[in-house]
Amino acid sequence: MAIASSPGERRAETDLKALSAAVAERFGTALSESSSDKGYVLSLSVNQPECLPSLCRFLFWDRGCSFGGIIAEEHPAHWQLYYPFLLASAGWIEVTLQLPIEVATVPSISSEVHAADWHEREVEDLFGLHFENHPRLGDFILPDQIWQEGINPMRKKFDANQPHFERQPDANWRPLLVVQDPGSFAMPVGPVYEGGIGESLHFLLETVGEDVIRASPRLFYKYRAVEKIAEGRSISDVLLLAERFAATSAFAHSLAFCRAVEKIYAVELPARAAHLRIALCELERLRHHAGAIAAICESTALAVSAAHAAISEEELLRASCVFTGHRYLFGLNVPGGLRRDVELNQCKNLLAAVDNAQAELRVLEDRLRYSSSFLDRLEDVGVIDGDQARDLNLVGPVGRASGLSCDFRKACPYSGYERYQFDVPYESEGDGYARLRVLFAESLQSVKLIHQAIESLEPGPLYVPCEGTTPGAALGWTEAPRGAALHWVSVDETGTVERYRAITPSFNNWLGFHIAAEDFAFQDFPIILATFGLSATECDR
Amino acid sequence: MASVTGGALLLFFVSCACGILLSALVDQRHSGVVIGITGALASLFMMLASASVLVTGRSFEASLWVLQGFGPLTLRLDVLSSVFLLTAGIVYFSASLFVRNFIDDQFGASYPARYGVMYFALMASVALILLANDAPLFLISWECMSILCFLLINYEQRQQADKSAGYIMLAMSEAGFLAVVIAFLILGKTAVSFSFPALGMAASGLSNRGLWSVFLLGFLGFGVKAGLIPVNFWLPRSYTAAPSLFIPIFAGVTLNLGFYGILRLNADLVHGSYGTGVFALVVGSITALVGILYATTESDMKTMLAHSSIENAGIIVAGLGAFLIYRSSGHFVASAIALTAALYHMLNHSIYKTLLFQGTAYVEAETGTRDMDQLGGLFRLLPGLSAIFLVGCLAISAVPPFNGFVSEWMTLQALLRSAVLSSASIKIVFALCGAALALTAALAVTCFVKTYAMTFLGVRRGSWEPKLRTNAGTRFPLVFLAVVCLLLGILPTYVIPILNRAVEPLAEASATASLIPPFFTANSSNQELPSAFLQDFHNLGAQSASKVLPGRGLVILLRGSAENPVVFAMSPSYGLAALAIMLLTAWFVITRLTRQRATVRRELWAGGIPRLFPEMTYTATGFSNPVRVVFQAIFRPNITEDTRQTVAVHFRTAIRRRRDETHVIDRLFLRPVGGAMNGIARFLAGMHHGRLNAYVAYVLGFLLIILFLYRAS
Amino acid sequence: MSFWFLHGLRRGIQSTRYPRTLDSAPGVSPGHPINTEFSSSGDARDAAASCPVDAILADGRMAFVDDGLCIHCQRCRFGIRSPMNWELGYEWTELPPGRKDYETLPSAFSKSLHVMVVDAGDCGACLHEVKQLNNPLYNMHRLGYFFTATPRTADLLLVVGPVSENMRGPLLKTYEAMPDSKRVMAVGTCAITGGVFGRSFMCAGGVGSVLPVDLEVPGNPPPPLAVLHGLLVASGRKVVTIGELVSRRRS
Repeated sequence: MAIASSPGERRAETDLKALSAAVAERFGTALSESSSDKGYVLSLSVNQPECLPSLCRFLFWDRGCSFGGIIAEEHPAHWQLYYPFLLASAGWIEVTLQLPIEVATVPSISSEVHAADWHEREVEDLFGLHFENHPRLGDFILPDQIWQEGINPMRKKFDANQPHFERQPDANWRPLLVVQDPGSFAMPVGPVYEGGIGESLHFLLETVGEDVIRASPRLFYKYRAVEKIAEGRSISDVLLLAERFAATSAFAHSLAFCRAVEKIYAVELPARAAHLRIALCELERLRHHAGAIAAICESTALAVSAAHAAISEEELLRASCVFTGHRYLFGLNVPGGLRRDVELNQCKNLLAAVDNAQAELRVLEDRLRYSSSFLDRLEDVGVIDGDQARDLNLVGPVGRASGLSCDFRKACPYSGYERYQFDVPYESEGDGYARLRVLFAESLQSVKLIHQAIESLEPGPLYVPCEGTTPGAALGWTEAPRGAALHWVSVDETGTVERYRAITPSFNNWLGFHIAAEDFAFQDFPIILATFGLSATECDR
Repeated sequence: MASVTGGALLLFFVSCACGILLSALVDQRHSGVVIGITGALASLFMMLASASVLVTGRSFEASLWVLQGFGPLTLRLDVLSSVFLLTAGIVYFSASLFVRNFIDDQFGASYPARYGVMYFALMASVALILLANDAPLFLISWECMSILCFLLINYEQRQQADKSAGYIMLAMSEAGFLAVVIAFLILGKTAVSFSFPALGMAASGLSNRGLWSVFLLGFLGFGVKAGLIPVNFWLPRSYTAAPSLFIPIFAGVTLNLGFYGILRLNADLVHGSYGTGVFALVVGSITALVGILYATTESDMKTMLAHSSIENAGIIVAGLGAFLIYRSSGHFVASAIALTAALYHMLNHSIYKTLLFQGTAYVEAETGTRDMDQLGGLFRLLPGLSAIFLVGCLAISAVPPFNGFVSEWMTLQALLRSAVLSSASIKIVFALCGAALALTAALAVTCFVKTYAMTFLGVRRGSWEPKLRTNAGTRFPLVFLAVVCLLLGILPTYVIPILNRAVEPLAEASATASLIPPFFTANSSNQELPSAFLQDFHNLGAQSASKVLPGRGLVILLRGSAENPVVFAMSPSYGLAALAIMLLTAWFVITRLTRQRATVRRELWAGGIPRLFPEMTYTATGFSNPVRVVFQAIFRPNITEDTRQTVAVHFRTAIRRRRDETHVIDRLFLRPVGGAMNGIARFLAGMHHGRLNAYVAYVLGFLLIILFLYRAS
Repeated sequence: MSFWFLHGLRRGIQSTRYPRTLDSAPGVSPGHPINTEFSSSGDARDAAASCPVDAILADGRMAFVDDGLCIHCQRCRFGIRSPMNWELGYEWTELPPGRKDYETLPSAFSKSLHVMVVDAGDCGACLHEVKQLNNPLYNMHRLGYFFTATPRTADLLLVVGPVSENMRGPLLKTYEAMPDSKRVMAVGTCAITGGVFGRSFMCAGGVGSVLPVDLEVPGNPPPPLAVLHGLLVASGRKVVTIGELVSRRRS
């Protein structure tokens, strides 16, 4: 870490000091503060579990920290729960809670920090840890129609490599319906729907006819237990998983994983690799956004514009393939750098393709802005206001369309983003059109960043060895195309992964989907879904 | 033949008396059998009496005794009243047999004997209303009928809501009765006696104002029973509250008495004017539309059928209105068609509505609920009942080959004949009313698709268990009605000439002359189409064979006027034959084509979810909600109390919304009128506060006013 | 809205000419490693060792590639002393191991094929590539191929993903719901062998362990044209080539 010198960084340091003092004053002996070597600016370990909710509320609401997620670890003698919080411009604060292994109840923080709701449900379902006062536990990742409660696959004693066929699913399971008007019913959608071209997930649209009162998603049909099967594998094998659980943002996730590993082994990245990584990150974002725009156009049945955006997306996929050898940028990242170098003419081709995409998107944006029938269908559809977005800690373009300007590239820069010139566009309306505008604006910023990155490429090494014998754990983060991605890796001395945790933007944002999908006309459902642009596979892992 | 009629009537009244005595005396365990057998017998005599009049076309008359000051009391069964008597007989026949099967469910340990006594008393009073040939007997029987209806509704007195429904009905009946009495008094002012012929003679001397007041008083007074806007708000309430055994009588008999009254008073005694016809047409169309709108959005089967009765009443009254308009403007043939259509529809409605109400009683007895949101999947449990119920639904939705189609087709055709009228404004009224009735017909299909689909198809949504204990014999009354529905639907050419006998004296023209070409009804040796018809067809660009198809008058033809030579034709009987041929051919072709293939039954495709739960299927409310949304201006739903229960702010646990809807009639009529009544009552109550000097002041003030008036005059 | 119409017209036809002529635009396919003869058996062993999923089998100086296992990680291509040969094609469709030939659908399907796609736990790449076939650049409708919304009208079941345990039931239900004369095509390495997810308590390790598979389109992900080739084979408009190594896979 560089020594703080600029005014901004000095202010961050004073912020941090003030926070640390305030925490010490409020919570006294309930907490103990320790310095951390995992990249955190502050590490708070909670001695009295009952203080955890109030501490989290203090950090999240009083100090305006962003909530990262929950990382649970099972150790032979104790449970370890990490709650990372991001203090904007200062860095990551880690709250840890250690409990004896025989304890099975944890205080729930989701009544204070609502964004923790699904994280707690996931931990409960997979580890069997019970969160006190959480209103709805169970039937989350392992559906009770297929699995019984009490199977906790993330426990160390659970053998993940064998099929687990001895199951007694809940025979009395009924769908949980929220709307209780007389005559209300639920329209089931999926998991196989839209001709399967949509990802596998299931919705219950609750209605009394005509208008949908509420839509609740049921995810985790695609749960492949990535975090579980990663345990016990080598770093290079887990890298394959990190890159392949969500292919449309493969590079961002593999980068977050690599950065976590690089942090464990304290590797300083060569400059060329850092710049190239930024170029590839932004290429992926640009391609993702072109695809998301195509999906939005398609959801409104504006076929020509959808085709226009889809062609741009395919051109970018081809450009990625020419540039790196893989259309989805697989197999490039390795801890310590990149596997493959690029040549000058490849860079020129890439810039040409990117500029072309930018021009196409500009044309499309102009056209769409004057298509009133298109705008009618997006405006005031699926609205999430700023308070709700903050409440649920929404990330990425969805959060930024509701006025949350949090972006890891600015808030806690990685890979050298702090040296780049770019803006984080955001809107305040929080409707479908705001989300579309954010996508357009961000893709233009990405083009700008790709140019800067390619221009700052200097000859030099692209890879430094990244290995060691020290056990350790670290958090890596990136701003994936859909928003904040956090990867937590813990390795032992042989370089075997003991715990791997991926907190994905889709997981965060699906939590907020039901807020946007209340009281809407049935035909708006695909539009709300498309403007959210969420991925089930990224959420399910 | 008169002796046959008289004898049948005598036997009818004797069996009614027997029924009353037996119900009161016989052990209550056998009440069902007593009501069933005696009732069926009585209704058979009823049908016999009316049939003999209808076949011969000769009225039956008998004088009873002379009532001091009113003249002689006479009974007269003319063709018009025998149409109504026949309808009542059919309904009573089915209802009596139905009682036998269901009386135990309905009453349990309470007193079926009392029910039996009132049942037969009502039967006799209904017959007396139709037989009365003078105002006093008519009014006395009418009052008896109203009070018996009230007693039968409140018979069970299980819930407070039911009781209030009965009282509302009683209040409305009495108000209607008063209006009718006043109408008769106005007529009787100049008449020599209160017998109907005398009143009829007196009516010809009535001024326009007097005519209008008699018409309005009679129309609204009888309209209470007929279920016309705006005096029908009691109807859905009482129908819902009434015992299931009794509703068929309500919907199939007493509702018709309202039409009988209107027809007798405003078309027979008083020759309704052009304006009164327009009034009736507009009121009928609005009644029909409002009735079907509420029926479509209702999910309680009984209440839905009640609203649907209002709709049908509207269609019948619209037909009556058209009849009055055509008659007063001199288009007698058109008026005959309109009245035939109205009478036909009255007959049809009584039959299929009885069928549907009995089917609903059946469903309720089997499942314990009549909420369509809770029902579903009955088709597999009760295939016989669902087939019969389907006939009722098809008939009421006016789908050929069942009877509803014939009468609705004729009603719409009668409205289309407005082309013959000279005034442009009345043509516009006809067009709007025709559109309203067409919309009504379309919504009726929606309504009964919903009813049938939500009740019998799909999966069981409620937590009820089917009892499955009724045997095939208990379904006989329903099968009887279903067969009548089919016969009335495929043989209208045999029914219309009979109805025509009732229509002819009123319309002063024959409908068969225009509707059913005379050569069909004439001797079968001359089966050549007249050249005028062939010319019409030719002018329209159509080719026609000159020979007529065999079968006595199986085609209904409606021939336009000379300047507008449009020919409408319909033959439900040939339609049935064609339908049968097409279905058989299709079946034959399909079986031939798929002879080599095995049929594979696969699970329902539901997007791959492990199981499709009943709460994931359409409910009746959901099915009809689009109608509710489209006609929001009429329903004016007031969605209140949108409770969104949440835990931890974002976490929805329950969304409950209460939808308050005030029926449009309650909103526009009952509440203002009721409010005004209450205001007057409060004012009067305020005057009577009991201080002596105040009363002295009232007397003084009154005296002064009288003096002033005296001076002024 | 006329400008959208003009906009569409002005862009002209952009669809590929495949299958009439081979499309070799840069980037349409990432290519795949092919059986390679090295100068020494050490190089072959190195190549085999570089593969994280044991898709390369060294036999003397030869290194054989099993397409159904290869995850296109390119570790045998970059950062290795002597790389495997890399072929930029996309006509990769092959038969599952043990199958001798593909019984084509009746001739009625050759001009029109309705495809039901099921995402059985896919990472998004294969699904995305399948979806690209609707893109004007590929425009599979011109060949009479359609994605259907219901299995009732489907002729071909196209499965992507390693079949997660929670999707096993829906996948089977979809297959059951399809009318007969139906074929199953596994698209992508995950759908063929489970790919990086392998076989675990949550992954069936490929469609083959759940359903009888008729055709396999390897690749991680297979590019759109490879999927299109699979559809052409399924409807009998292209002939499948039987690789010699197929039978050795997963033994």
